[in-house]
Amino acid sequence: MSAAVLALRGVTKAYGEGDARVEVLHGLDLEIQPGEFVAIMGPSGSGKSTLLNILGCLDRPTGGAYLLDGEDVARFSDDQLSLIRNSRIGFIFQSYNLIAQLTVLENVKVPLLYRARGHGGGAQRAQELLHTVGLSHRLTHRPSQLSGGECQRVAIARALVNDPILILADEPTGNLDTKTGAEVLELLEGLHRAGSTIVLITHDPAVARRAGRTVRLQDGRLKEAS
Amino acid sequence: MRERVTQLFLLALRNLVGYPLRSLLTALGVVFGVGSVIAMMALGAGMQQALLAEFGRLGLRNIILNSKKPATRKKDVQTSQWQFNRYGLTRKDLRQITETVPGISDVLPVHARPELAWHGSRKVEATLHAVQPRHMDMFGLRAIRGRALTDADAAGLRRVCAVRGSLFGELGFQGEPLGSSLLVGREYYTVVGILEDEPLLDYQRKAMNVDSKTKEVYVPYATMNERAGTKIVTRRQGSREMTDIELSQIVVTVEREEDVIRTVEMLQRVLARSHEDEDYEIVVPLKELTLRRKTQEVLRYALIAIASISLLVGGIGIANIMLATVTERTREIGIRRALGARRRHIVAQFLTETTVISTLGGLLGVAVGFGMSYLLAAWTSWSAIITPESILLALTISMGTGIVFGLFPARRAALLDPIAALRHE
Repeated sequence: MSAAVLALRGVTKAYGEGDARVEVLHGLDLEIQPGEFVAIMGPSGSGKSTLLNILGCLDRPTGGAYLLDGEDVARFSDDQLSLIRNSRIGFIFQSYNLIAQLTVLENVKVPLLYRARGHGGGAQRAQELLHTVGLSHRLTHRPSQLSGGECQRVAIARALVNDPILILADEPTGNLDTKTGAEVLELLEGLHRAGSTIVLITHDPAVARRAGRTVRLQDGRLKEAS
Repeated sequence: MRERVTQLFLLALRNLVGYPLRSLLTALGVVFGVGSVIAMMALGAGMQQALLAEFGRLGLRNIILNSKKPATRKKDVQTSQWQFNRYGLTRKDLRQITETVPGISDVLPVHARPELAWHGSRKVEATLHAVQPRHMDMFGLRAIRGRALTDADAAGLRRVCAVRGSLFGELGFQGEPLGSSLLVGREYYTVVGILEDEPLLDYQRKAMNVDSKTKEVYVPYATMNERAGTKIVTRRQGSREMTDIELSQIVVTVEREEDVIRTVEMLQRVLARSHEDEDYEIVVPLKELTLRRKTQEVLRYALIAIASISLLVGGIGIANIMLATVTERTREIGIRRALGARRRHIVAQFLTETTVISTLGGLLGVAVGFGMSYLLAAWTSWSAIITPESILLALTISMGTGIVFGLFPARRAALLDPIAALRHE
């Protein structure tokens, strides 16, 4: 049990007070072991984004416990959550979310800036990761000069730079064509084979099939699917 | 840590350069604010210097005693035709001062009176000043041609004079005035020096006992004493007036500036003893300077305060633009927060940007300040004195402005909700 990378125990999320209170997630339970590749599927309005935000420590659950690497982060402070996001979690967004004014290399190095005190360095690793995703020849380019697929690969390298225990991908192929999307998914599969724990949120069953396990989110409730 | 600061600085610089027009407009308030503060400070320093020079001419260690006609007179004698006036400082006063008042390094008597200067049949009203030769030096009376009066002239009781150049113009003098013989009153004096026609300020005029309308003719005191005496006869509407003023002025030089005020009191006591009427006045350049200085200080601070207002406006401008910038970069802030930036990182990032803008604006402002100072100096004929301290102060203020006015937008940025920020735009 304590070996799980993440565990949700009765996690609820509600917005508003009193009469205006809306509960979006109703008592979720989930466990993900290290090295798993899990796809969370659900239609829009199912609370996917809300769940993602909680998993990614961008938001706190209203109730329940969220154990990340054994620690309950549900009541962590803003600073503590920021540190978790920086060191334990790697984000991959649908729209890449690269910073336009920075070069490819600088983008990958951004998480290094926010490391906890006394954890400098890592510049070497950034370059290596870009090499792994096949972008060594684009280090000094700006995101505007890259294709969608290339941008996403930069985002993947960025997500890995601080050696996270969990990679969270939100519709990573959503803005890509089939071919490029497939390339990106292959990259993710490669990471999985190398031992990374990946949680992928998608509405596309074809994408979900690439993961080892699928969990369905419907009306704020989780159900194992495959 | 140092690496992080360097990175922040370089990033801020890059963002600045990325939008050159906007950055310039943002910094403009600070540029002019700093520029005017520097110009005002330079002007103030220049004013002070001019003030000092003005009073320096009269000598800050000098106490100037002038004879003046008393309002009430006790010793006048009046007949139907003659009016006898006798007032003012005397040679006895001179002796008493020299002998009894301590801490004095020099005492100079002056006898001045109105006289007519003649050339041919033309006559012009002038004032005859009988002075000690070193008096001319003390009051900066320089001969532009020829020479000033010397101790040798005094010792030899020579009938020589140094004259204001424009007097000859008024007399319709043709040819070379130097070396010529000038009739002043009833005596002839050889012109050995032409003095520059320098405009004197009212205060200086009063202190030096110089009329604004007439020109002066300086002769050695010793010569005048021997030859001409001190009595002045004037005719007025049929009756005649005879005025006897032994000394029109005594210039007392004190050894140390600190003793000036004390010496003034002592002089007052000495003179009060032998003068019944108030037939003299005491002019103290040091006092006047101190007074003027105080007024000037107020003016200086007022100028700087006004200039600082523009700096304030500049700071508000920075805050304003920064708020807009933060809104523009909401997405970027969301991304950075998602990647683990803590609130203080965001604050640091934006605060660095505002500080870099304001400091660069300050540097530019210093250059503008230089320009403004020289323009003002040319216009007012004061000098513009820019000290390293004023530059340092201006730069510190501009940096401080960036920090103070950047704080609000930076905090705004840091307090953004990352989730909402990521969805922005």
